[in-house]
Amino acid sequence: MKAKQDFPAINEREQIGLKAPGEPYRVLIVDDSMFVTKQISQILSSEGFEVVGTAADGDEGVEKYKELFPNVDLVTMDITMPTMDGVTALEKIIEFDKNACVVMISALGKQDLVKKSLLMGAKNYIVKPLDRKKVLERIVMSLNA
Amino acid sequence: MRVEYINPFVESAYSVIREVLNVEVKRGELYLKSSSIPVLGVAAIVGLAGDVEGRVLFDMSRESALNVANDMLKSMDMDQIDSLNDMGRATITELANMITGQAVTKLHNLGFKFDLTPPAIFTGDNMEVSDPGVEALIVPMEIPQGKIEINVAIRERT
Repeated sequence: MKAKQDFPAINEREQIGLKAPGEPYRVLIVDDSMFVTKQISQILSSEGFEVVGTAADGDEGVEKYKELFPNVDLVTMDITMPTMDGVTALEKIIEFDKNACVVMISALGKQDLVKKSLLMGAKNYIVKPLDRKKVLERIVMSLNA
Repeated sequence: MRVEYINPFVESAYSVIREVLNVEVKRGELYLKSSSIPVLGVAAIVGLAGDVEGRVLFDMSRESALNVANDMLKSMDMDQIDSLNDMGRATITELANMITGQAVTKLHNLGFKFDLTPPAIFTGDNMEVSDPGVEALIVPMEIPQGKIEINVAIRERT
């Protein structure tokens, strides 16, 4: 019997979570909701991304980013969070690393908030509800920006 | 309470529930309550602050909450739960957060400036909620998972 690896890999779709073969993009997820953290983590892991850290508020997010740096390629950042909101955390991360790839993910789509985040250096802004396609498209766009 | 505040919540609840749970939503008659109101067993609350202040409560029975949470988890290929544990509570608060976030965005585009707080959830029997000095408007919604009551109490800041 032929094992799966005996078949040529020619039909296998390339996973978009890899920056090079065997080398995944490393992601930090900042969100106060356990559900959303799991949701984002599941979508990204299924495409080969590696979730290297999670944080439940902005303050913890900034700390984790500094700890992980430079071994982190992408941050997904919620906005409405206790202790420190996501826009403040974005500002602090960009202050620390001006090339950081931060993607905002929020239920709030207010124009001025989106604009403010993008001006501050966020690479993209995803408004909930989340679906797989939307998340992956925006994240790939941000990583290639 | 001004009716302009309510419609965005009703519209957002409709569209978020339909999109996330992929079900039809039937709306019951709206009603106003100024006295204390019984809470069905699970209540997710999101606070509003800015030009206006108040809160929105998403109220449902424990059974409906479990059904809603499991359907949301299933739609994301996540493990099912058999009681309203931490993940179940996080799922319900996220639904409340998405609906309120979308409504606040709509209201913002209409010129009302305010923000929302991170959601919280209460569970228990024989709970009541009262908002002294503010009338609450209740929007009952029927979905196959059960009944959800959206209870909005907002007042303008003076």
